[in-house]
Amino acid sequence: MDVTSKTSEVPDEPAAAAVTEKVWKAGRLEPMPIRKLPDAPPSIHILGPTVFLVALGVGMGESYMWPRLVLVFGPDIRWLFMVGVTLQAFVLLEMARYAMATGESIFFGAARIFKPLMWFFYVAAILIYMWPGHLSAGAAAFEEVSGIPWQVTACVALVFVGVLFSMLSVIYNFLEKLLGLLIGFLVVGTSVIAAIVGNWDDLGKTLAGMFAVGYFPHEAMTSAWFPVVVGSIAFAGPSGMQQMWYTLQLRDSGAGMGAHIPKVRGLRSAGEAEAMPSRGFMFDTEDPAEMAKWKGWRKWVTFDAILLFWGITMLVTVSFTVLAMSAARTNPNVKSLIEGGDRDAALRAMSDAFASAGSPILGTLFFAFIALIGLNATLGLFDSFSRGQADMTYYFVPGAKRFSMSRLYAGFLWGVIVFGILILLFGPADGPAGILDTLAFLSTFAMGAYCIVLLLVNNKLLPKKIRPGPVRNLIIGFGAVFYLGMLFYCLIRFGVAVG
Amino acid sequence: MTSSKELAEFSVPGAIVGAAAGLVAGALGVLAGQPLGWAIITGLGLGLPLIVLGSGYAVLVALGKVPAGVFAPAAVYWVIGFPLALLVHAITTTWWVTGSPGLPPEPWKFLAFRALVSMGFAIGFLWMHEQLGRHWWPRILPHNRYARRTVEQYSHLASALAERKAATGRR
Repeated sequence: MDVTSKTSEVPDEPAAAAVTEKVWKAGRLEPMPIRKLPDAPPSIHILGPTVFLVALGVGMGESYMWPRLVLVFGPDIRWLFMVGVTLQAFVLLEMARYAMATGESIFFGAARIFKPLMWFFYVAAILIYMWPGHLSAGAAAFEEVSGIPWQVTACVALVFVGVLFSMLSVIYNFLEKLLGLLIGFLVVGTSVIAAIVGNWDDLGKTLAGMFAVGYFPHEAMTSAWFPVVVGSIAFAGPSGMQQMWYTLQLRDSGAGMGAHIPKVRGLRSAGEAEAMPSRGFMFDTEDPAEMAKWKGWRKWVTFDAILLFWGITMLVTVSFTVLAMSAARTNPNVKSLIEGGDRDAALRAMSDAFASAGSPILGTLFFAFIALIGLNATLGLFDSFSRGQADMTYYFVPGAKRFSMSRLYAGFLWGVIVFGILILLFGPADGPAGILDTLAFLSTFAMGAYCIVLLLVNNKLLPKKIRPGPVRNLIIGFGAVFYLGMLFYCLIRFGVAVG
Repeated sequence: MTSSKELAEFSVPGAIVGAAAGLVAGALGVLAGQPLGWAIITGLGLGLPLIVLGSGYAVLVALGKVPAGVFAPAAVYWVIGFPLALLVHAITTTWWVTGSPGLPPEPWKFLAFRALVSMGFAIGFLWMHEQLGRHWWPRILPHNRYARRTVEQYSHLASALAERKAATGRR
């Protein structure tokens, strides 16, 4: 694992062939040539690849699962959410470390360590994310507003996403702007609704609850609630493989060494895509000027992690918790419905409560925002899934390189869309009942597994000077124990994966 | 074009974000078949103050008092502006319901709560303002000095990025 000089023949780049150059040997795969690290943009910025993570992460966990736990166990349970999201912010920073230093995805990093690790993520992603169930909450909320049956909305949304992503020249640029605008609107809107119907006491209790460390009521340890609590912690912020996909979006945004990797294009412009290099790149960590730029990039991504990711996720969930508390006060029926776990009935009751408490339009607006959360998640999920699978297929499936990355992306995108439509029309949207537990298990297991992968890639594949410090390692190690420990405890003690 | 007209033109994105926060609420209410009076009063009661304040923020950007796209000044601006807009909204709706304007109960608590929520509003506002502005300001650039100055700030950043890319080269 050191920088050496050698004669490198790079198969996919004839122009660069047979030149003597410095390379960084990382793991068992092709070494990374040394290139210049670009200058970092100003650390204070508004848009960045984190919008994808926010779009994916701010979902049902924030708008429903956590408000539900607060109504059942009181606001003090929120300290667990604080732990979950803070842990995810550190995961984001460590994912970014590898992606920005190499321009490679975390999947490539996993393959450098041990290829079967990467194949596990490849199969898990297909099993977990091919089911279109994630569309149901947003589409059902849209049905409440418009009266259009949710399956129709979901099918139209699927085709719309497919056509849109195929027509775009560079998918990342457009999607970053669109999601930025939609999330901006979501944040503005939830702030307005929370400001109209919430009050100081609700907010005070919700915020204080975030610091009630150690609070864990006896009922939360029962077989009815423990799996739900574990699921809610795992689903605080981005869940499953969403953080891993973030490394691909970072690369496409041109962050760090990602600037040396061409962007993924829509199907219509796939022919214009530049040839993908066969591996990532490394910068010279012995050069003080390069290290100064690296510090700039770390500052840039830290701003993303704290304000954009942690801040917005906290804000949306605090707003929705305040809304749930306010709705439960107005209408006690809401509390029993939310506790009962019927999501659609609970959301409807919350909407009614806002309509009667604030003003009639607030109920409708509430549903509009649930639909907006669903739309954001759908856009982000389809792009991310296709990006991740295309990346792994391109580099590791024999013969796949004759298709461009952009064509593989389009193949996975349309594959998951066609399968999704068939399932929406003829099958169970969340997946067959018999494998639901397995899917929930895989999703949480993947989170523990990527913490281990992160520790390995950042400590074994990166030059010493840019490896994480002991505190960061300890936190990510805690993440692995936290996710896997809770998952297996739940499985052994109660016989179920997560709720 | 006079300076005030140029400022007004420059402020369109700020006004749109303010309007989006208030008037979309009203429009949705109408679409959903809610009583028209409620929808209009809520929409206008909140929308108008936010349009004024959104434009005010854009004017500060135009005059160079506030850097474009930076969070801290926007947060300070909205920690004052957002509670005031909600106060106007509360007074207007009370007026509509009771026939005479009145302050909400415990006005200081009312304002303090909204001041806290304003942090979120500030992030969303800034995000949308920047997105809309990037499309609007280049269009009015030939005849609007404020747009020209702001776009120059952004293009300075963009050229720095382009130089960066050229310097590193591909592969």
